[in-house]
Amino acid sequence: MAGWGLLARLGARLRAAAASGGPLRAVTAVSGHSWQLGFAARPVHDATWWHEHLSEENVQFLRKAAAEEYRAQTASKLCPLKDEPWPLNEWKPDSVRVGVVAVKLGMMPIWTKSGKKHAVTLLKVQDCHVLKYVSKEDSGGKTAKLLVGGKNVSPFSKSEAEMEIFREAGVPRKQKVTTFNVTDDAIIKPGTPLYAAHFRPGQIVDVTAKTIGKGFQGVMKRWGFKGQPASHGQTKTHRRPGAISTNKVSRVFPGKKMPGKMGNIYRTSFGLKVWRINTKHDIIYVHGSVPGHTNCLVKVRDTKLRVYKDCNKNPPFPTFFADGDEKLPEDLYDQDMFQFTDPSVTYA
Amino acid sequence: MAAACGKVLLRAALPARWFSSSMCRMNRDGEPTKFQPPPKPVIIDKQKQREERRFLSPEFIPPRGRTDPLKFYMERKDMIQRRKVFNIPEFYVGSILAVTTADPYADGKTNRFVGICIQRGGRGLGATFVLRNVIEDQGVEICYELYSPRIQEITVLKLEKRLDDNLTYLRDALPEYSTFDMNMKPVSHLDHEEIPVNKLQVRMKPQPWSKRWERPKYNIKGIKFELPEKKMKEAQKWKQPWLEFDMLREYDTSK
Repeated sequence: MAGWGLLARLGARLRAAAASGGPLRAVTAVSGHSWQLGFAARPVHDATWWHEHLSEENVQFLRKAAAEEYRAQTASKLCPLKDEPWPLNEWKPDSVRVGVVAVKLGMMPIWTKSGKKHAVTLLKVQDCHVLKYVSKEDSGGKTAKLLVGGKNVSPFSKSEAEMEIFREAGVPRKQKVTTFNVTDDAIIKPGTPLYAAHFRPGQIVDVTAKTIGKGFQGVMKRWGFKGQPASHGQTKTHRRPGAISTNKVSRVFPGKKMPGKMGNIYRTSFGLKVWRINTKHDIIYVHGSVPGHTNCLVKVRDTKLRVYKDCNKNPPFPTFFADGDEKLPEDLYDQDMFQFTDPSVTYA
Repeated sequence: MAAACGKVLLRAALPARWFSSSMCRMNRDGEPTKFQPPPKPVIIDKQKQREERRFLSPEFIPPRGRTDPLKFYMERKDMIQRRKVFNIPEFYVGSILAVTTADPYADGKTNRFVGICIQRGGRGLGATFVLRNVIEDQGVEICYELYSPRIQEITVLKLEKRLDDNLTYLRDALPEYSTFDMNMKPVSHLDHEEIPVNKLQVRMKPQPWSKRWERPKYNIKGIKFELPEKKMKEAQKWKQPWLEFDMLREYDTSK
C-alpha cells in the first residue's frame, strides 16, 4: 500500500519533469530512484532512426557520401577478369555453379512459334555480387558455399558487425544475402558481379522466394478444409475444423493442421524454363509463376531435377563475365519463342 | 479597332472548321505593324486540334499499382515492335471489325469473323477485345488478343463510337442490333473528321436480363428503357449520389 503512494508521487514528479524538460531528464529521474524501487517506473526506449541526432547538413552530406561510395565500389568491380580472378575451370556434368539474386518485376504473356500462349515472369538481376567464399571445412557441410547478395540498400540502419561482410568484399550493402552450395571448381572471387547472362534461354531453373504473407488464417484457407454447410441447422459452425483427433489416441498428433500464420515462408518453384534474356537491362524471362509479391527478392539457380540434366549443358562457367571476349546481343531468345520482329504465324 | 477585330474573330470562330487560322492572321496583318494582343481569349482552331490529336490505344496506359515502370517499358517495347510489323488500326467499342486468324483446323487455314466490338479489356501485351455477331440466329462472341501472332489481319469496316464504353447489354437486346453482314463493305472514314458517335438507343428483349441494366451503377445511356415507371423508380433506389462527393475516392482526372 505504501509502495502505491511512492509510485504515484514518482509518477507525478516524472510528469512534471517531462512537461518542463524532455525525455532525457525524465530518464535520469527514473534511474535516480531505481535503486529504491528495483525497477524503472517508465519504460525506456533506446531505438532511434539513424539521423535523429544529426543536423540536416550532416544528413545530406552522409547521403551524398554513401551514394558516391556506392558508385565507386560498383565501378571498381566492373572488370573482374582483370582483377586477378580465381582460376577459371571448364564445366563438367557434375559441377554445380552459383545462382543469382533477382527482383520479381511482374508477369507477361508470350507466344511460341506454333501460336500457343504461355505466361512468363520477369526477373531483374539488380546489383548482384558475390560476397564471400566459405570453404567445405569451414562451413561443415558437404560442399563449398558462396554467399551472394542482391539489391543495393542504404548502409545506415545496419550494425557494424553485419556490415563487415560487405566491407570486406568492397561492395555496397545488399538487401538479401543467400548461400549457394557450389562445387570446388565453380568458386568465384568475392566482389565479382553476376549478370542475367549467367543463364541462357532453354535452361531450366529453380526459383526460391518468400511467399506472400496472408497473416493469421483459418483452416479453410490455410489447409483447404471443406468446413460445414451454411444452413440446415448448423449452430455457429461454418468454417471450423471439426474433429481434431480420435478417442483411442487420446491426444492430438504433432503437426495437426490448424489455423495459424499463413505465408511469408520460403518456397521453391522447380523446373522453370528460361525463355528470354535481356542483357541490356539484365532481365530473365522465366516460365510460369514464381512465389513472392511484385518487387520481392528471389533466388534463382540451376535445377536440381535430374530430368532436365540435358537442358543445362555447357552453361557459362563459373559465371558470365561482362568484360570477357563474348559479346552478346541485347536480346537472347529461345528457339521456340515467337519474336515480334517475325511476321504473323501461319499454318501451311 | 480592337473591338472590331474581336468581333471579326468571333464570327470566324463559329464555323471554325471552314476557316483556317491563316484568315485571322491576315486580318491582323492588314493593320499597321504595331502588335495588338487579342482582346478576347484566343480561340482554338478545331481543325488544327484534330490534326494534332493522336489516338492512344487504352492498353498502353499502365494500371495503377506498385509495379516497377521498367516492366511496363519492356512490355511497351514488345507492343511497339509488333505494331511495326503488323498494323493494329484505331478502333473503339461500337466499331465493326473484321478479323482473320490462322486456324490449323479450318479450310485454307484461316478464319474470318466480322462483329461489333463490345468491350476492350486488359493492359499491355495481354490486351483483348470481344467481337459479337449473330450468325444463323445464334449469338456468337469471340474474344481476340490484340498482340497474338495468330491474327493475320484486322480491318475496321465501320469506325464509330457508341454512347457507352461497354456494350455487353447487346446480349439482352433484340438480335437485330447485333447482326452484321459477314460480307459487309467497309464504310470510308476520312482522317480529319471526328469519330462519329452513334446515338442509337437499343430496344431490349423482355426482362429478365443477364444484368439489371436499368440500375444506375451501370450508367447505360444506349438503351431505350420501355419499363414501367415503377420499375425505373425502384432502380433509382440503388443510386449512390454521395459517390461524386467522396473525397477519398480515386477517379480519372485526365479530362
